[in-house]
Order: sequence, then structure tokens, then C-alpha cells
Amino acid sequence: MELDIKFMVDTFFLALAGVPATLSITGVALIISTPVAFFMAISRIYDVKIVKQAVTAYVSFIRGTPVVLQILIIYSLLPSLFNTIIKSTGWNINVFDINPIIYAYIVFSLNTCAGLSEIFRSALQTVNKGQLEAALSIGMSPVQAYTRIIIPQALVTAIPNICNLTINLIKGTSLAFMMTVKEVTSIAKIAASYGYNYIEAYLDILIIYIILCSLVQLLFALAEKHLGSYKNIRGTLVNAG
Amino acid sequence: MLELINIYKTFNNNQVLKGVNIKVKKGDVIVILGPSGSGKTTLLRCINFLERADKGEIIFDDLRVNVKTASPGDISRIRKKTAFVFQNFNLFNNKTALENVTEGLIVARKIPKSEALETAKRALSKVGLSDRENYYPSKLSGGQQQRVAIARAIAVNPDVILFDEPTSALDPELTGEVLAVMKQLAREGITMVVVTHEMSFARDVANHIVFMDAGIVIEEGRPDMIFTKPREERTKQFLSRILPFDDYVI
Repeated sequence: MELDIKFMVDTFFLALAGVPATLSITGVALIISTPVAFFMAISRIYDVKIVKQAVTAYVSFIRGTPVVLQILIIYSLLPSLFNTIIKSTGWNINVFDINPIIYAYIVFSLNTCAGLSEIFRSALQTVNKGQLEAALSIGMSPVQAYTRIIIPQALVTAIPNICNLTINLIKGTSLAFMMTVKEVTSIAKIAASYGYNYIEAYLDILIIYIILCSLVQLLFALAEKHLGSYKNIRGTLVNAG
Repeated sequence: MLELINIYKTFNNNQVLKGVNIKVKKGDVIVILGPSGSGKTTLLRCINFLERADKGEIIFDDLRVNVKTASPGDISRIRKKTAFVFQNFNLFNNKTALENVTEGLIVARKIPKSEALETAKRALSKVGLSDRENYYPSKLSGGQQQRVAIARAIAVNPDVILFDEPTSALDPELTGEVLAVMKQLAREGITMVVVTHEMSFARDVANHIVFMDAGIVIEEGRPDMIFTKPREERTKQFLSRILPFDDYVI
């Protein structure tokens, strides 16, 4: 098997142009999902009537269906939905002029919300209830208690899981090519289709994703070390008491 | 100063408090004794609404609340007049000892940072931990953590400090250092309500003993009366089990 190295190198740099799209989908999904997922988690922990049931059903549905299918459904439904809305409000926008990355933002935000809410829910529950009680007992409001005491501690516990979710999100965006979004996978595939150099293209894609995900893992490792400095993470067998 | 009237509390079909009345005067050191399940911890937690009683009234100086209809504002006002010391310390794990003490001052009471730091340092030195100001709770022993918790409580200058079995999680040596701090506070006239099994503390420091069992107050009075001449049978039974035999003849 011969690899066209020149093609690989050329395509590599071509595909890099798709990295901003990949990262922007990841970033937008995370930024939108974070506050929403937090409130979803709170609604389940505190058993908020109706909201809790809705959230549980939503999370179940998202996690029970393949991302591919979510993409296909959204990409088929949303444009015609937008068309109807635009027609009724009388705006002069052509639905097909909408940048397809918007659809990617929507699908991956919906998807990330669900996973992130479960991560937040479990992380919040790892924090000892006594921390909240102590904060309330010295006169802090629940909001103050959460933002200053509970969430910082929950965050440290959540970091490995959030890292996992982020990496999976980055890899998941490779499916956005189905919505004609010009991200890494789609660019490489298109370049490959000219001369049928699919193997080289796939290897390029692999390399780019490995680099991206390794950087993310490094960032999260640093974050975990910094945020968790108050903990005695290195357990000592001989206790200093 | 503080009065609890006719407090009832049920947890899941289990009636834990069946009409309890307590009066606290300024400067009192009240010790609540009783077997497990008697409701003494629940009663303490009802005072600052860590548990919400089902029925009854709480009078705190000029503040009179019905526990069922108490508003968040009322609860907040009560919490600002009290401080709580927990059995398992509950120090804020992500804050240093000094930050633990300043947190309530700066965040809850909006006291300027410089003033709060001064108050906090004074409180920590009072409990003998000035040299551990910048240590995180994970690096402190149990006794040290509890003393920081006490510093956190006294720094906010509450009308009454509530202690929920403050030494139950400590070994005898560490227990001593915490009890010493509590004795010092009592000598300075700080009002305290203490749930404890430390009989020596109850005997030597308290000025009023409340004995509870099965959700009601069985007997209450001055320590020397309760320990030497208990009137109720249940009290005698409890004390005979828990006091060393040669200490008192019941």
C-alpha cells in the first residue's frame, strides 16, 4: 500500500482550515449548555414539579438516540420550520442562505445539554450536604452558598467527566459534514474525492483530532490541578494527623 | 432572649418532637441531654431552620415567628443572630481557615474586608490557631477543624451559639482542646445551647440542663439538682447508665 505523502501534507493543511468550525461548534455548544444544564441538574436534585419530569424525559430521549439520527431529523425538520416562521413574520430571508453551521450549533447544543446536566447533577451531589448547611447557618443566601462554596467544589469533581464530554463533542462534530458544514472531516473528504485518496485523508483527519483532543486533555489536567489545590489529593499512607 | 414554644416535628411518619418548650436567657449555657432519637439534635436544628418544624413558635428578642408561615426574610434574620457548630465540623473545604471565618462576615454581612480580616484573626487567635490561618481544612486535624468552626461561629458575633455534639467525632485528646475553648467562651458570658454527651462539661459549665427523651422534655433544672436529685424515673435511668458509678448516688 503506497501513501501519497504529498497529498497527505497538502490535505492536512487544507483540513486545518476546518478546525475553527470544529472548535466553534464545540465552544458554542458548551457555552449555551452550561447554564441550561446547571438549571436542569438543580431541577432534578430539588425535585421541581413538572420541570423535573420534563428534564428527565428530555435527557432520556437525547441519550437514547444516536447523534446521527438527531442530526438527520434536525436538518430535515428545521429548515422547513424556519421557512414557515419567516413567511409568517414577513422577513425577507432566504432559508437556504442560513449558514448550515447554525444547524450544527442547535443540534450539538441540544445534545450537550443533556449529557452535561447529568454530569452537573452527579457532581453537585458529591458535595457534602453539610457544606450547604454551614453556609446557610452563618447567614449566606442559597445563591451565595452555591456560587462560593458548592459549585467550586463540585466543579473539581466534575472536571474528568467534562473533559470526557468535550472530547466526545469534538469528535462528534465530525458528523456535521452531513449538514454541509465545512469542518475538518468534510474538507478532508472532499479533497480525497478528487483522486480517491481516501486513506490519506482519513489519516489526516485522525491526526488533527488526536492533536485537538490531546490539547483539551492537557488543559483540563491543568484546570483540575489548579482548582483542586485545596484538596489532599495525594493520599498518604502514613497520616500526619 | 430566645424562646421555643410548642415545637412539633415529624419525619416520614415518625414524630420526633412532640411539643417542646425551651427558654434561653442571655448568658445561659444550656446543655441538652438525652438518648439517641430523643430529638435533641432536631430541636437544635429547628432553631436556625436547618430543619423546619411543623408547628410551634420561635421568639427571638423582638422577632416572633410561626414556624409554618416563617418567611425567608424571617429565617435569614434568625440565622444572622445565631451560629451553628456541627458534629462533623463542616468547614468550607475550598477555603483556608482564615477565609472560612471571613466568609460569613464579608459575604453574608457585607462587612468591609479589612475589618473582617481583623475580626477573623482575633477569633482564630482566641481558639489558639493563629499559626494555621492559611491552612486548608484538609491539612488540619479534627480538633483544629472544630476550633476553626468555633472561630467561624464567634466571629459573626451571634446572640447564641448552637453546638450539635461538637466533640462526638473527636478522640479524647482532641476533645479536651475543644472543650477548653467552649469553657472559655462560657466564662466570657457567650450564650450557648449545647447538645452533648460530655457529662463533665454539663456538670461544670452549664447553668441549665434539659433532659429529653422520645420527643419531649422529661426534666430540666440546674446541673447540681439534675445530677444529684433527678425527679423523673427516666432521668434516673439515663444518668445511672451514663455516669460513672462512683460519681453520684442516684
